Amino acid sequence: MKNINDDLLNRFIDKELSIDENKIVHNAIENLPDIKKRYEFLLKVHLLLKDIKSESPSMEFSKLVMNKISKHSIIESQQKRFMLIVLSFLGIIILGIVGYIFSQTINTIHLNSSNETITTYSNTIGDYFSALFGKKNLSIFGSVLSFIMLVSGYFLYDYQKHSKKKFSH
Amino acid sequence: MIMRNLTDVEIIESVKKGNQADYAVLIDRYKNKAFTMLKRMLKNDFDAEEVLMDCFLKAYNNLNAFKFESKFSTWFYRIVYNSALTKISNAKRKIESEMSSVDDLPQLESKFLADDFIKEDNTILIKKIINELPPKNAAVVTMFYLEEFSTEEISDVLKISVANVKVILHRSRNLLREIIEKRNLVQEIL
Repeated sequence: MKNINDDLLNRFIDKELSIDENKIVHNAIENLPDIKKRYEFLLKVHLLLKDIKSESPSMEFSKLVMNKISKHSIIESQQKRFMLIVLSFLGIIILGIVGYIFSQTINTIHLNSSNETITTYSNTIGDYFSALFGKKNLSIFGSVLSFIMLVSGYFLYDYQKHSKKKFSH
Repeated sequence: MIMRNLTDVEIIESVKKGNQADYAVLIDRYKNKAFTMLKRMLKNDFDAEEVLMDCFLKAYNNLNAFKFESKFSTWFYRIVYNSALTKISNAKRKIESEMSSVDDLPQLESKFLADDFIKEDNTILIKKIINELPPKNAAVVTMFYLEEFSTEEISDVLKISVANVKVILHRSRNLLREIIEKRNLVQEIL
């Protein structure tokens, strides 16, 4: 007779054996007391496990989770709003600078030939940029811009990190 | 009351549309069974509840990434299982760093003494015995018997083959039988 091991008995309980294997194990259980004892023990364990009852977390659990979710949503929307404000502020500053340079350029150049106009335009824009970032204005303007860039950069990094973390799960 | 009869997919779609409160139905649906699995894996109520809360938050935050390719339960239990493993490895690292010498280790294994089992209620006794199973075995046993997952679904959660799931399941039964025999609890339990 084939050696009846625990694996075979387990598969017999789970009804995973072929018809032939099933017959062999069934006969062994009927005729061999040792096998019968092992089988009954395993079957009892199987039935005990079937009887496992689920346990509950604390009474307020669902409420606590929902509170955390709504708090999280509020923080997230606040972060988004703040990012939008910082970015629009930065955008307005950049637009303002570009607009100012163009208006100054247009005011200084009047009726010129087309080729000369392009050259003069580029020269004037260049001049304005050099004046803007020149020694005179650099210290004040640069500090303000760097500060804004640093602040917005930090929040942009934080937001990206947060989003990445969210998707990594 | 109507909400309770909806399928997981319908609830998720409703949450995705902005009905945040509907997520509570999913929490109520899965909290007990997931908590039981976590308790069997982590061996204590406090950690189980903390990890479970984290799992529900993770699932909520990633609900948009859930594409209905598998059942929500399978997807959610994967989060639960992986979170439990992370918690266990963190705890292990902490214990190892706090352990002053290797001699302290056997004390951990002797936490379940035969005397503890005497004259205890059968249900509590069984729970204690199941708690002696290693985390992976405890997870498989809970999903198979409590959640009534098929071996295919368990293999999907654990990312292992169906054959391996069956091996773990059979070993768990053998292990429980050995524990019962070792503790001389045959009469009390059987």
